[in-house]
This record gives sequence, C-alpha cells and structure tokens, in this order.
Amino acid sequence: MAWRGPHYISRNDRQLPMDMAYLQHAGSAFASIFVVATCTMRTMIPLRVFGILTNVILIAVSIPTHNYPTMALHAVLLPLNAYRLHQMLQLVRDVKKSVNSDLSMEWLKPFMTERRCEAGEALFYKDEKAEDMFYIVSGRYRLVESGIELPVGAIVGELGMLSPSNERTQTLECIEAGTVLSVSYSQVEELYVQNPEFGFFFLRLASARLFENIHTLEQRLAKNSGTAVPADQLA
Amino acid sequence: MAGFISAIRATLTELMGHDDAAAPCLPRGLPDAVRTVALHGVAILIDYQGPGYAQLYCDRLRRFVGRHGVDDALFCEIARLLTARMSYHDPIRIAQLKLAEPVTASRAPVVDVRRFRADELISALPEIVGDPLLWALECVGCSHRTIAMRFSNVGWWGRRRLGLEASLRRWRLLSVRYEMERRWVERWLHMIDRALTKRPEAAAAVVQTATMIEGYGTGYRHGLAAWHQIIDGLAKPVFDGALQLPDLADAIRRARAVPLDPKGDQLRKAIAEIRARARSG
Repeated sequence: MAWRGPHYISRNDRQLPMDMAYLQHAGSAFASIFVVATCTMRTMIPLRVFGILTNVILIAVSIPTHNYPTMALHAVLLPLNAYRLHQMLQLVRDVKKSVNSDLSMEWLKPFMTERRCEAGEALFYKDEKAEDMFYIVSGRYRLVESGIELPVGAIVGELGMLSPSNERTQTLECIEAGTVLSVSYSQVEELYVQNPEFGFFFLRLASARLFENIHTLEQRLAKNSGTAVPADQLA
Repeated sequence: MAGFISAIRATLTELMGHDDAAAPCLPRGLPDAVRTVALHGVAILIDYQGPGYAQLYCDRLRRFVGRHGVDDALFCEIARLLTARMSYHDPIRIAQLKLAEPVTASRAPVVDVRRFRADELISALPEIVGDPLLWALECVGCSHRTIAMRFSNVGWWGRRRLGLEASLRRWRLLSVRYEMERRWVERWLHMIDRALTKRPEAAAAVVQTATMIEGYGTGYRHGLAAWHQIIDGLAKPVFDGALQLPDLADAIRRARAVPLDPKGDQLRKAIAEIRARARSG
C-alpha cells in the first residue's frame, strides 16, 4: 500500500500532523500530573522544584506543537521559579553558615526594607507590641531607658519574635539621622513556615544568640562580683 | 500582607454573621475604681473596631497596674483619655455614630454635614494606596483643602450608605491615619512612663495633654501640632536632662494656655520664653 502522507486532525482551525497531536495530548497529560504535584507541595523548595519541572515540560511540548502563548508564559515563569528557588537555597546556606560562625543576622538583609530615620524619631517604644526587627545601617541610635548606644551593624528585636510577651523592653530613639533596614516578624514567620530547614536553623541561631547574651551577662557579673556562674547552669 | 489577610478574614466573618474573636480580658490587679472606666472603654472599642482592638487597650492599661505614682484618679484619667484617643474620629467613626442614632417619628431627622481636610480623607485609605496619594496631594498643595461630607440616616439609601461606610472599619487598621494615631498613643504613654520615672509630680499634667487633641479636621491638626511642640520643647528635654525646669507641670499649663494659631508661632515663642527663663534662672 502506497504511503499517503501524514494524517491530519483539526484543532483550533489549524491542521496538525497526527503525531504532533498525540505528542501534544501526551505532553499535556504529563504536565498536568506535575501541575497537580506542584499544588500538593506544602513547603517552598519542593514547590519551586516541581514548578520548574512543569515549566520545562510545557515549554518542551509547546515548541513542536507551535503553542506560543503557553511557551511564552512558561518561559517567563521558569526563570522566576529558578530565581526564587536559588533565593531560598541561598537563605538556608547563609543561616547554616551563620550558626556555625559569627551568629550574624546579615542573611536577612535581602528580605529587609530600607527606612530613613530622623534625629529624635523613636523606632519603637517600651512596652509596645513588638512587630519588626531592625538592622542598623547608619546613624546613631540609643536605648532610652538604659542609655546604651547601639553600633552600626547591630540587629535589634530579633528575640522579641520568640518571646512569649512579645513586648519591647526599651525605647529605641534615633539621635543622629541615618538608615535602618527593617523586616516584620510576619515576614520572618512566612519564611519559617515556607521552609522548615530554614526554621530549624533560625531557631538554633536565635538560641545561640540568647546563650551568647547570657554569657556576656555572666562575664559582666563576674567582673562586678568577682564570682562567675557557668552558662550551662544558667540555662 | 498579614494585615490584608486579617482584614479580608474579618470582612468574611462579618458577612457570614458570626465573630469568634476572643473577648478582651482586663488586666489582673486593675483597681476597682478603674475597672468601671476600663469596661466602658472596652465596650466603646469593641463597637469601634472589634475585640482584638479592645484587647490592645487592655494591654496598654496593664503597663500602669501597680505602677508607683499612679493612684486611682490618675489611672482613671489614663483609661478615659486612652479610650478617647483610640476611638479617634474619622469618617468611618462618624458614619458608625450616625448609624447608631435612633430614628424616631416624633423628632425630625438631622443630616450632619462635616468638613474634613483632604489629607484626612486620603489617610483613611490603606497605606499602600494612601501614601502615594498623600504625596501627590502635598505636591499640588491641596492637602489642607476641606471637603464637606453628608451623613444622613434618612431613608433606605442613606442608611445603606452609612452601613457601607461603617463596614470599612475592618480595613481601618491598615490605614495611614491608624499608623499615625498608633504612634501618637505610644508616644503619649511613653511620655507618661518617663514622667513617672523622672518627674512624678508632672505626670498628671502630661496625662492631661491628651485633651489637646480632639475631633477632626483643622482643629485636630492644630491640636496635634501643638502637642508635639510642647512635648518636644518642654517635656522631652526635661526627661532627657537637657533642660532644668523646676516646675514642669506649670510650664506645660502655661504653654497650653497660649491660643492656637495655624502656624504655631505664638506657642513656639511661648516655649522659647519658658526655656530661656529656665536657663537664666
């Protein structure tokens, strides 16, 4: 029997070769499985990974079937998903690094918003409900009740997020105009919920900073009284 | 984002007709004399915003329970003035109050016409929209213009309109105005706290400064500006140790007696005189 050329089926007023139509159906069905799987993910990293896989499959299917709007949509979503995944993995790496080194909170900087402060402005008041943490970039800031001046690079209010009373213990006032970065507790909570690995290391970091504070206090106490209590006994 | 989610949740809860928010809890150890005032405040604030907001009021009152230098009379004043400030008058509140007015056949209904400043109306919007609009209004120099608003509970349409305006209270906590009021209340409470620590004899005068801020529109703005002038010029420098005033309470009273003018020049002059006298004396 002589070959009569490819079979065609009608779709959207266009004629597609039969093989292409099968490919499109199979590809769409395969991609649908990934779309469903993406939606079932509870945390951010697997969600992004499945999102990327879905994007790749749909781009791969849409090229031979000339489905350009779908291809364009997923060509936009693919780098977006990849960037967010990179951001999340970077965050976990930075928190882990911080736990094992200087206990700094610099890793939070990409998630913070810049805020300009004028001299005399209070960033927060004593007994107020704590809702944000701050990173001091420039200017001079003083804790009003204790009179302590905070250095540039200091993080303020990171433990308030985990404290049961959730209230400020002092007032922070700007005494020379400058800039701070701020992030709300709800934003950190979002990161915590979206990424359990980050949450685990964040807790370790917060605990380590708390122990460091106890250690500093213990040293001051030892200086003043000449006797020291070991940190593990205080904990 | 969290604020928007809670506002959407509160709106849906209201539409579904039930509110499962926990009832506010008065602070332990609150003196009996203050309890009555505080309960009245809680009732007003539940009507004004909701139980969560009334709980914030209770948390703020808790700061003064058992505090040295706070007797029952002073505590009652703090509770009363805190209620007044936390239920500030914005167009939403005026719609709420108008809606609550009884409509009786024997009395002719009154249509209220209130004048608000343009920036006051814009500041009732959520910050994300309100901030750029306020900036634009400032650029074209129209922020001080006043706009008349009618509040009428006459007829079906009038009550529907009031109901719609009053329902916007669920979004109030996201507004520019709320943030401004929150900062003001916290600053006032902070000044009371510092007065109790540094100059207990002046605490009552600092508490009473809250009466400078009342109502809405231009009068409200002038009162607010004058309050900041007095606190920045007299109270704060005394608490910081930068100014030695033998009688801070009297200085505040004298500054408050100065008639308010739009630019605050008379008050600025009066404060400068008080400071100069304190330095020379």
